[in-house]
Amino acid sequence: MISGHRLLRNLDYTLILVAMMIIALGLVTVSSASTTTGTGQGVFLTRIVGKQLISIALGTVVIVFIMFLRYEDFSRYRRILYGLNIAILLTVLLSGHEALGAQRWIDIAGFRFQPSEPAKLIMIITLADFLTCREGNLARFRDLLPVFAYVSVPMLLILIQPDLGTSLVFFAITFGMLYVAGAKPLLLGGLAGGVFGGVVIWIWGHLQHGIWITLKDYQISRLTIFLNPWADWAGAGYQMIQSQIAIGAGGLWGRGLYSGSQNQLNFLPEQHTDFIFSVFAEELGFIGVVLLLALYFILLYRGLRIAGQARDLFGTLLATGIVSMLFFQLLTNIGMTAGIMPVTGIPLPLFSYGGTSMLTTLAAIGILLNIWLRRQKIIF
Amino acid sequence: MQSTSIIMRKRITVLFFFAAFLLFILVSRLAYIQFVQGDQLRQDALENRTRDIPVEAKRGSIFDRKGNELVTSVSVDSVFAIPSQVTKPDEAAAKIAVVLDLDVDKVHKQITQKQSFVWIKRKVDYQQAQELKALKLEGIGFVEESKRYYLKGDLAAHVLGFVGVDNQGLTGIENTFENDLSGTAGRIVVERDAAGREISNAVHNYFPPVQGHNLVLTIDETVQYFVERELDKLIDKFQPKGAVVTVMDPRTGEILAMGNRPTFDPNHWSAAPQSTWDRNVAIWYNYEPGSTFKIIILSAALEEMTVNKNDRFYDPGYVKVADRNIRCWKAGGHGSQSFEEVIQNSCNPGFIKIGLNVGIPDFYKYVRGFGFGTPTGVILPGEAQGITIPEKKATTLNLATMSIGQSIAVTPLQLLTAVSASINGGLLMEPMLVKAVTDADGKVVHEYQPKSVRRVVSEETSREVASLLEGVVLYGSGRNAYVDGYRVGGKTGTAQVVGSSGGYVSGRYVSSFIGFAPVEDPQVAILVTVIEPQGGVYFGSQVAAPTFRAVMQDTLQYLGVPEQKDLPKPKNLNFWENTREPEEVRVPQVVNVPVNQAVQDLRGIGLNFMIRGEGPVVYGQIPEAGATVLEGTTVILELKTGPEEESAAQVTVPDLAGLTIKQVGGLLENMGLRLEPVGTGFASRQKPGPGEKVDRGAFVRVEFEPTAERQGPTD
Repeated sequence: MISGHRLLRNLDYTLILVAMMIIALGLVTVSSASTTTGTGQGVFLTRIVGKQLISIALGTVVIVFIMFLRYEDFSRYRRILYGLNIAILLTVLLSGHEALGAQRWIDIAGFRFQPSEPAKLIMIITLADFLTCREGNLARFRDLLPVFAYVSVPMLLILIQPDLGTSLVFFAITFGMLYVAGAKPLLLGGLAGGVFGGVVIWIWGHLQHGIWITLKDYQISRLTIFLNPWADWAGAGYQMIQSQIAIGAGGLWGRGLYSGSQNQLNFLPEQHTDFIFSVFAEELGFIGVVLLLALYFILLYRGLRIAGQARDLFGTLLATGIVSMLFFQLLTNIGMTAGIMPVTGIPLPLFSYGGTSMLTTLAAIGILLNIWLRRQKIIF
Repeated sequence: MQSTSIIMRKRITVLFFFAAFLLFILVSRLAYIQFVQGDQLRQDALENRTRDIPVEAKRGSIFDRKGNELVTSVSVDSVFAIPSQVTKPDEAAAKIAVVLDLDVDKVHKQITQKQSFVWIKRKVDYQQAQELKALKLEGIGFVEESKRYYLKGDLAAHVLGFVGVDNQGLTGIENTFENDLSGTAGRIVVERDAAGREISNAVHNYFPPVQGHNLVLTIDETVQYFVERELDKLIDKFQPKGAVVTVMDPRTGEILAMGNRPTFDPNHWSAAPQSTWDRNVAIWYNYEPGSTFKIIILSAALEEMTVNKNDRFYDPGYVKVADRNIRCWKAGGHGSQSFEEVIQNSCNPGFIKIGLNVGIPDFYKYVRGFGFGTPTGVILPGEAQGITIPEKKATTLNLATMSIGQSIAVTPLQLLTAVSASINGGLLMEPMLVKAVTDADGKVVHEYQPKSVRRVVSEETSREVASLLEGVVLYGSGRNAYVDGYRVGGKTGTAQVVGSSGGYVSGRYVSSFIGFAPVEDPQVAILVTVIEPQGGVYFGSQVAAPTFRAVMQDTLQYLGVPEQKDLPKPKNLNFWENTREPEEVRVPQVVNVPVNQAVQDLRGIGLNFMIRGEGPVVYGQIPEAGATVLEGTTVILELKTGPEEESAAQVTVPDLAGLTIKQVGGLLENMGLRLEPVGTGFASRQKPGPGEKVDRGAFVRVEFEPTAERQGPTD
């Protein structure tokens, strides 16, 4: 156990402050996105904001709880965690709620819960342990095969929900952790490029020649529409176009909080979840965008700093996985709203409305803080 | 435990820079959207959420000079649909079609169009609008628009003009004062959400329309009413092709009334033929003014002092000008006359002499000075400028014919303006139709003042002309225009219509009367022009003067011009009418008479003729011999090949003078003679001459002249 005094002295306050600022900006934006009065005056505490606040409170409890654990102990429960992960994901498939054409939710104690979110974190923990055990033995291609096999079980379970976005996050986490764990960059790059090229060719083949594919048609069109949203402006391209109109309408200073017409008049779909960033960009402009991205940049920097100064490889990989997860989500979410990434339905960490996502991200932040707290090798 | 290796730290750093690079790309992309595409995207966002609903401005009213409202605008509803909001198109179409009396399929097509806004029907009746509103159909809306009402029906229709469906002035004052009357349309900018619903508590931008200005005309409703009433009587009596009466204040050029026939109701203008509503005869019609134009030559001669009032004129019934004989309208001529008598008798040879003494350069000085050949400048669309022979090309013969109002074309308004100048003290005024433009509160925005264009003759000359014209009414051809209690001056005019081919058309006349009162201080000038009256009566004194008299009398009394007692009255008030009323004549027996003889017989007693068929002998005639008809009636001669054809080797050449080329051709052909025509118009000279005997098949050389000798009277 660490004494309270030492705990307080060694916390990464920058990380905490940045996370709090992002959360605050997110809350205000969610508030605007959920009050669509069009009058330029919104009520801050909407029902949605209330639920988001509860999630944040719960997340804070989770962080505090994590502070009293030893992250090194996580590796001890790797089998239980891995099994739990698969069990929950199977439960979703068998009895989950269907929404938006996918089964992603289960109810736990009255709360609607999206297991693919904590699944990412659990996978980071188990994979960090898995890779730590194989330290120095990741040079060859065949060394990587067990790793992929290990990851692919939960990942495939998520893919067939289907939740393409989250499975892509798994992919990014795996590659980020493998890179830091010592896999050869060329091998990894080749693999990533190969997989990416293969998927592109597969989709192209499906569209041109009707080759069988696991994805549903709507998923394919969401993946490809960003190349030319006007091809189906009233359908798959609609979100993309309205999002870009919103961002563009923001200009330098934005249209003011609660005053973005794209958001307020419901032209933006999914405006408090996946497309929250468009609302933010419309109402707070480029100035707001730069501020927010700067905050994320600091978050990213602090995360990698923690990875670099962790007391052991397990901590380094854990932090790397978390940072990879957060950054990939940030990139794909904002890229999607800006029309340079496919529509994948990935939430913006700490910002989008969504209880499970918020809890998971805060837990991840908690783990980062924990690693930082225990970075010194001296044990008393 | 082992700490993280160097390579790992390096890789974490690489990972950091890789992420930073991707973030930089992301920011660049966002900057591109927000700055480069920003304006366009802001526009897109605006179009996403706003929709303009137009609010038509109320068009200004039009008042007469006394403030009586002639034209006004009333608010009515127009029905539109926003197709994306129409929930049950089938049901809605059926209901709308029933209420608005429209075709169901058409309505259905309209409300299902892929358009954001579509008019279903503009300016619907109040009752229909209420019924439709009560149905509360989704996606169907109403906009208040204004509908033009011409309160007095066809009163002054050609002056006022009318508006189209978008309230845009199409003709008349409505057209020329479009900018003043129309006002500025407003609009309501409504914000809508993604579902197209109006946002109930959103800030709506309302740009109120600016009401158009009102017009105050110089037209007096009451005088206009007199004009309309008398025009109706005129139409009833003479069934002319057209008629126009214009009343002007000669002192200011203000037009008090201007009426046309045929006319139309501006409320339902499209029900009338286009030829009726698209031209205002008073300003558009070019015609030869005939004797009314003699006022101009008279003014010129007096001003230039080329005539001596003590001169005596001898009229043998014709005058020889440049080898041509120009006849007086009175057979045998007026004999010896004083200057005043020449004017009272409207003697053609007398006026030709006066005109020739003025000379071409001075004559043209006054033609231009009085405003002929240029538009008067009246504020109405579609004004003609008349036709004058260019001065450089004018011959002495032209001068002679122009002196009696031929070879020159004027518009009724030009003539009225010019004659007003000759009797108002000598100033040519610009005709005025609008006194003022006022705003919605009646405040004057712009006031029009009488505008004098130039002095044409001296006051002295003007007074003289006025008094000489009074003589025409008292003692001459204008007696039918006499108004008891007032000193009236005026002049009749009768001219033949110039046909499309350039020649005069027999039997088609323009009868007119122009006059003014009181002579000592003219306050009212009126021109009555009647185009092609029917029924055999065509003299201006008979057709136009009575209308002038009725309008003048009522107008003078209405304006409160004091009556005078013990004024001289015309003697023998009905003298003129009696002598000039077409006499009844008995149609002679011409069957089996050689055709040239038959034509001579008919013309001798004042009948017209028309030939049908071929041959030298008349086979049949319509009307039959013995029938009583009015002078000028056309007798149809049917010809056939008679026994004379082979036997007679020689025929007598008929008198062809005054006949058209077609008549000459038909006559000669039927007599076995051949025509060698020279020129166009009316036969003026022939060789061999009348009465000479020639062989069959011989050529007769006939010279035609458009404006020379003629049978037609110009009284």
